[in-house]
Amino acid sequence: MTPEIIPSPDTLPVNWLWFEILLLVTFLLHIIVMNFILGGSILTIFDSFRKKSFKDEVMTIPTLIALTINFGIPPLLFVQVLYGNLFYTSSVIMAVPWILVIPFLLIAYYGAYIYVKKNGKAHNLAQISLYISTAVLLVIAFIYVNNNTLMLDPARWSMYFENPAGTNLNWGEPTLFPRYLHFIIGAISIAALGKALYYHFSRKADRDTKEKQITSGLKTFGYMTIVQIIIGVWFLISLPTKIMMLFMGQNIVYTILLILGITLALITLYSAFTKKLVFTVITTIVLLLTMVLMRDLLRHAYLEGIFNPADMVVTGKYSSLILFLVSFAIGLYSIYYMVKLMYKTKTQ
Amino acid sequence: MNYPVWEITSTGGGLLIAIIAIAHVFIAHLAVGGGLFLVLTEMKAFRANDNQLMDYVKRHTWFFLLLTMVFGGITGVGIWFIISLVNPAATSSLIHNFVFGWATEWVFFIGEITALLIYHYRFGKMDTKAHIRIGWLYFIFAWLSLFVINGIIGFMLTPGKWITTQNFWHGFFNPSFLPSLIFRTGIAFTIAGVFGLVTAAFTKDRNFQKRLYRYCAKWIYLPVIVVILSGFYYVYTIPESAFHNIFKYNPASVTYIRLFFWASILVVTLGLLFVWQAPSKIQNTGVLLILVFAFAWMWGFEYTREIARKPYVIYDYIYSNSVPKEGSDLLYNNSFLAHARWANIKEVNNENFKEAGHELFVLQCLACHTIGGYNDIIARTEHLTERGLEAKLTGLGKINKYMPPFWGSQDEKEALSAYIVRDLHGKDAVKPGYAIVEEAYYQIPSYDKINEEYVLLVWNDLGMHCISDNDKYFSFLPPANTLWAQLIKRGEKPEIVNDNVVIEYEVEDGYRNPQDHVDFWEYAEKVYGAKLEPGTGLAGKMVYGEMDPTINNAFVAHMIPVTPYQDNGVFNPYPLFTVTAKDKNTGAVLVSTKTVAPTSTEMGCRNCHGGGWKVNNYSGVADKTAMNILAVHDRISGTTLLEDALNGQPRLCQSCHMDPAVGAPGRKNIMNFSSSMHGFHANYLTGMQDDACNLCHPGSPRGNTTCFRGRHKLMGLNCISCHGNLEDHALALLKNEELCYKPSATKIRANLKPRMADSYAMIQPRIPWLQEPDCLGCHRDFDIKQFKHRPNAFNDWAAGFNALYRNRTDQQGVMCVACHGSPHAVYFATNKYGIDRDNIQPIMYQGVSGTIGTNMNCSICHTTEMKHNGHHRNMVKNKSVFREPVIPKPIAYIK
Repeated sequence: MTPEIIPSPDTLPVNWLWFEILLLVTFLLHIIVMNFILGGSILTIFDSFRKKSFKDEVMTIPTLIALTINFGIPPLLFVQVLYGNLFYTSSVIMAVPWILVIPFLLIAYYGAYIYVKKNGKAHNLAQISLYISTAVLLVIAFIYVNNNTLMLDPARWSMYFENPAGTNLNWGEPTLFPRYLHFIIGAISIAALGKALYYHFSRKADRDTKEKQITSGLKTFGYMTIVQIIIGVWFLISLPTKIMMLFMGQNIVYTILLILGITLALITLYSAFTKKLVFTVITTIVLLLTMVLMRDLLRHAYLEGIFNPADMVVTGKYSSLILFLVSFAIGLYSIYYMVKLMYKTKTQ
Repeated sequence: MNYPVWEITSTGGGLLIAIIAIAHVFIAHLAVGGGLFLVLTEMKAFRANDNQLMDYVKRHTWFFLLLTMVFGGITGVGIWFIISLVNPAATSSLIHNFVFGWATEWVFFIGEITALLIYHYRFGKMDTKAHIRIGWLYFIFAWLSLFVINGIIGFMLTPGKWITTQNFWHGFFNPSFLPSLIFRTGIAFTIAGVFGLVTAAFTKDRNFQKRLYRYCAKWIYLPVIVVILSGFYYVYTIPESAFHNIFKYNPASVTYIRLFFWASILVVTLGLLFVWQAPSKIQNTGVLLILVFAFAWMWGFEYTREIARKPYVIYDYIYSNSVPKEGSDLLYNNSFLAHARWANIKEVNNENFKEAGHELFVLQCLACHTIGGYNDIIARTEHLTERGLEAKLTGLGKINKYMPPFWGSQDEKEALSAYIVRDLHGKDAVKPGYAIVEEAYYQIPSYDKINEEYVLLVWNDLGMHCISDNDKYFSFLPPANTLWAQLIKRGEKPEIVNDNVVIEYEVEDGYRNPQDHVDFWEYAEKVYGAKLEPGTGLAGKMVYGEMDPTINNAFVAHMIPVTPYQDNGVFNPYPLFTVTAKDKNTGAVLVSTKTVAPTSTEMGCRNCHGGGWKVNNYSGVADKTAMNILAVHDRISGTTLLEDALNGQPRLCQSCHMDPAVGAPGRKNIMNFSSSMHGFHANYLTGMQDDACNLCHPGSPRGNTTCFRGRHKLMGLNCISCHGNLEDHALALLKNEELCYKPSATKIRANLKPRMADSYAMIQPRIPWLQEPDCLGCHRDFDIKQFKHRPNAFNDWAAGFNALYRNRTDQQGVMCVACHGSPHAVYFATNKYGIDRDNIQPIMYQGVSGTIGTNMNCSICHTTEMKHNGHHRNMVKNKSVFREPVIPKPIAYIK
């Protein structure tokens, strides 16, 4: 470890747990919609290989990208608040790939719009747009995994002194690929579940289409979850032994969460293959929450003895928190009002 | 210094921030203003039942969504990404202080995109009134986003009370919050009009298109008044130093202020195309142009605002290079690398010198400068020598505040300078070298101590005179050497002779054609306003002629235009003059002697300003050096000296800067020449000894002139002993200027700390040339013993012009300087062009080098034995100081 190069953190206005909770909740929201667009794009490519025609649910991708980016802002904000000194450092070390996320996002976003607008009108353009969009989304996910692992391991930061030009990636990290695949496969399964859910609520699709799509969505979800469990095991054993052992009985909270996660995964498998959509969705949300918590505990385990946000100085200035909470309440009500307005007037 | 630095040396993080941020801000303003544009236009269409207009709104919404939600949204996140990469420390500070501000902005952002998505996807599919309500909600959320981010951006420029309270609300509702909010809101509506034109350009129905163009033009014009008025309000709220940065000192702002100004004019002018009828093609081309100019307008504004913040990224809190202001004082003259968390090298040594310089560049310079790209460090420092760069680093942030100071030890400063000059410029590492000087031949005139009736004492009034020697560009010191003489008739009671004699002077061979060696005469009329015959000086004297009698019992030849250049190319700054006293009536020679008229062109400007020497690689101010000096002056003082000089109108520096040395009155409110020169440069040559003086004046022991050559030098004294350190010297001059209400004196002295006085208050002000260090400051009551205890004449100025050493006389009217020798060369002096070159008269009259009359040589003038202190107290000593003469060699040249 090289603790002397870890930048000293700034102060927090309020207790760190506020940010921890906000981080986890908003990350969960972000990851769900992110899974829809990434997994959804991959599934659309699979469907196009199988000559399946253009599906309604794909129309939602550009909107979901907007939501993904929007829901990505608060976790990005709160991770900077709690772990900024680590996160900025790792970002600088791999600055070039990190900043490329922005043009890649633009490409993915506009690519998705081109696909949606041109599908059925200009097939090749639409397909190429889809491939490019999906490819850059996969690259973005890989860059994120790199940064999120690099920020946890200051011992690896010495790569900066070899190459300060920001063209590094966290290649030597043993969990890099299992962690990445864990996200990608997870995204495909969640997108498949999302597709089933879309058809569940769809007012356009006829009964047959609905049933067919829900079944196929659940099936894909199930298979992908099996793959996900295997990759999850790979991920677990690729962790540093000391950390892995925390999940293997050495720490009761870590272990319970892992057991809970595996159990929930098995339950979702069962319910998916038995076509219980709503139950699967609810269980999956709980499973995702469990995984988000595990991910957070994993971060704490990595940073044990290096940095703990609980040690940050709190200035106790709560007034701005109140501003946020009030505006959040107003924002939520406004969204509710707007959505209500949209549907209510439609029926008039 | 808390974080690693992303080394993008050729592009520069600042440029990346600019590209992402300006693109975002342009679209983000559209997102705000365009919101109102959409909903008001929809209402207009709805009320008028205008389907064509409604269709336009629908089309515009799609274009608007793709631009604002996709491009605007992602580039907004992009700003976070890029600022955290380029300046993580400041980003962290902003995030931690305003986390709930950002979080609130996110709430408004999600409200904004929800509204926009509904507005777009439900356009025509839902009740129009409800749709309009969604449109209003979109605009409200978008404007609230601006409201929040405006607080944070404004905070960076005008943190106001937050600096002391650290209170969120003080930071958020900072002094520029309101003007900036109004200003940006106005801009947002104008940009909405500009983008309205873009969609209108794709309208096929020409009549309808014309109507749309006129409608959009109103959006461009109506906010203009608001933008102008709030703009003035905005400028009014920014800190004074920021104001000066933008409008006075920082040359970088000029481009962007011009860009902003001209783009504003062009946007408004081009808008006329759409108010009045113009052909379709012209109007459509106009749309493209107005879009480009609106972008340039935004670019100009945002850049100007950024520049105003220099040298901080958060004003008064964090410097642009991430060094926090608090505690930064401790880094002056201390190791910066030892305190920089991500420095690989912690201590500079010979092995890591080069690498340390690179690290310092990365840590302190790279935030704003690139290597070969935007704000290129090579171009910015190209004119400087390594020494000059060291001086530049010393002076950073002192006079012009737009750059942060340099923090670090002397070793680190040298390492950084060496890195930039040697590695980046690829220039030679060699420090200023000097020519090898050899002794020049001269003869001691013969003198019959028994039978001669007269003693002629001749001297130069200053002991050294410099010529600025590049009149093509500027001048502040013409060829002008003044010789004085006193003729004494020997006897029991020697007499000073003033009447019926003529004192003639004539320069030695080789120096008789000064007009062939300097361009003074070519520019004399333009620079000095004097029509001069070649070879004639400003006071009408040539290098040979007659001296004029004065009321001081002495003769003088003012401003003899002698130069150090001989006709055969030899440089010798100590030309000898033969001075002869003749009977006015008979012409008979009464006595003849020799003296040096020290004059040098070894001006050290090139030591820092680069450009090399002008003449034969050992003297003179080269054109390149002169041009750089003028360019710097122009940049800092807003003058056009370089342009004027290039147009054939060089100036006398003292035409603005008062200077008693050349009798120039200068201009009101502008500091005198000596105060300006010493005051300004003292900020850059801080903490040095007499090497600071020698960088500019020809006093260096290794130089070609070594003008400080008197007996004091052998006793270990140097410039500082009398004049003080450069800072002290400058402060005394500046204090006088400050008392004369010269505003720039206060600014220039702000960062100077006295070294030979306890405080600025203790420093005695002085007027250059009219007040100089008083010999009696050390030689109290002519008591030599005092000297041993206090070899420091600083701050003890002669009471006035007549009390100066060079003007003062004893009770008999003999001038101090006549017997003791010229200032800086008091007998016995040691001259590198022949040890006794300055001592010809003492050797001639008394056989040894030393004060005239030393070793009880009163018989030089007195024909009877003298035992008392006739001229001043303590002159008769038990042990006199003198030196046996050294015979010169008959060879003289410079290699």
